[in-house]
Amino acid sequence: MNPTDGTKGEPAGAPRPARRAVLRTAFTAAVIAGTGGALAPVLLGTQGPAGADRERGAVGPERFSELYKGREIRGTVTTTVPAGAQPYAAAPPDDGKQPHAGAQPYAGEAGAAAAVTGTEVSVDGRPLHVMRRADGSYLSTVNHYESFPTLLETARAAVDELGPAQLSAASPHTI
Amino acid sequence: MYSRKNQRDLTRTEKKRLVDAILELKRSGRYDDFVSLHRQYYVTDAESRPRPAHMTPSFFPWHRRYLLEFEKALRAVDPRVSIPYWDWTRDNTASSSLWADDFLGGNGRPGDRQVMTGPFAYRQGNWRIRAGVTDDPFLRRNFGRPSSPVTLPAAADVERALKDPVYDTEPWNSVSTTGFRNRIEGWGIRGGRGVANHNRVHRWIGGSMAGAASPDDPVFWLHHAFIDLLWTRWQKAHPRSRYLPARELPAGDPQRDRIFPLDRPMPPWDVAPSQLMDHSRLYRYV
Repeated sequence: MNPTDGTKGEPAGAPRPARRAVLRTAFTAAVIAGTGGALAPVLLGTQGPAGADRERGAVGPERFSELYKGREIRGTVTTTVPAGAQPYAAAPPDDGKQPHAGAQPYAGEAGAAAAVTGTEVSVDGRPLHVMRRADGSYLSTVNHYESFPTLLETARAAVDELGPAQLSAASPHTI
Repeated sequence: MYSRKNQRDLTRTEKKRLVDAILELKRSGRYDDFVSLHRQYYVTDAESRPRPAHMTPSFFPWHRRYLLEFEKALRAVDPRVSIPYWDWTRDNTASSSLWADDFLGGNGRPGDRQVMTGPFAYRQGNWRIRAGVTDDPFLRRNFGRPSSPVTLPAAADVERALKDPVYDTEPWNSVSTTGFRNRIEGWGIRGGRGVANHNRVHRWIGGSMAGAASPDDPVFWLHHAFIDLLWTRWQKAHPRSRYLPARELPAGDPQRDRIFPLDRPMPPWDVAPSQLMDHSRLYRYV
């Protein structure tokens, strides 16, 4: 634990598996949560301009859990691969027209475009809806008119703006 | 044809009529429909959906139409009212008459940032926040955000934006570094400029105005009337400049189906930016 801010998150400089290995891992399971240590750079690379990728790479993958100003803030990167977009996990097709997943070594790359990159951030267990800008930065429902380079900064800024208030439990998930 | 006045010039009676009309919309439920609409059309530029309202060239015309709809609702309650504008380069302190007890009420109190004064204070019984970002049923303000201080934009900040002769530029989103639109909308540019003008004012007020349900604070309308006036001033300063993009973007341009060129109808009203370029037959700023 970091004595200055109570951070328990994984170090940003965790070793990263080779890209292919990461992709294979990613598309083996339908849902992989809390994989910030290895997946975030690949997933974030599927969208946004090159500059954003560099910035994200510099900041590192995000997974955190800390006490900030007395509030528990948590963040994870979650990826959901929609059903039917899992070339390595799906059963072999039976109509003979669709290519067999195993015969398509680059199917994973195509699948990457269909993968939905998600982020889950919470303050005291209540979900903080987070959105992204084209430059890869984040903004939340609490701070709608400024953005932050990392999820951690987004969560901390939300706490600053909330004061003692609790996020609405009924907050619509998509806005 | 009616006038939109500087809020500092309103008489006591005009302020009361406006406040009463707003409270009536709140009572009837229509006010909260406007809050939800704004929330619904907040689409960011990392999404592939169309974004008519923010991070987009149609930031000005979309909000012009949004204010017109709200003003129409207000005037159905009382035909003598219109939306005043707040020139935050001039009335830039917490002691402005804007925040007095007879108008919008003042800053939130320390601690929970609850607005305690004026007609929109929760304890007055007429202003309950129903679908806000937090659980709190009261309006929140946090002027200047003391935890990380922010100031209101200066007149020079607005002047710099008004001098840009180009309406908007590629990539037509929140990272457009030049062009009048984003200089006023005010998205921070990494390694460039900080949060500016429109966005900065939302941030300075803080609380409800900083978040997804910003129209929960009635100052939203006065702020956006000034933004609308700045668009008119820019048009007058650059009579040969035009709204951009003027035509549909080429096939293959990633922004093609996300933004609204001059003649593409905007939701939810199915009205194109080209139909909102000139307000002079509807209202004028005095």
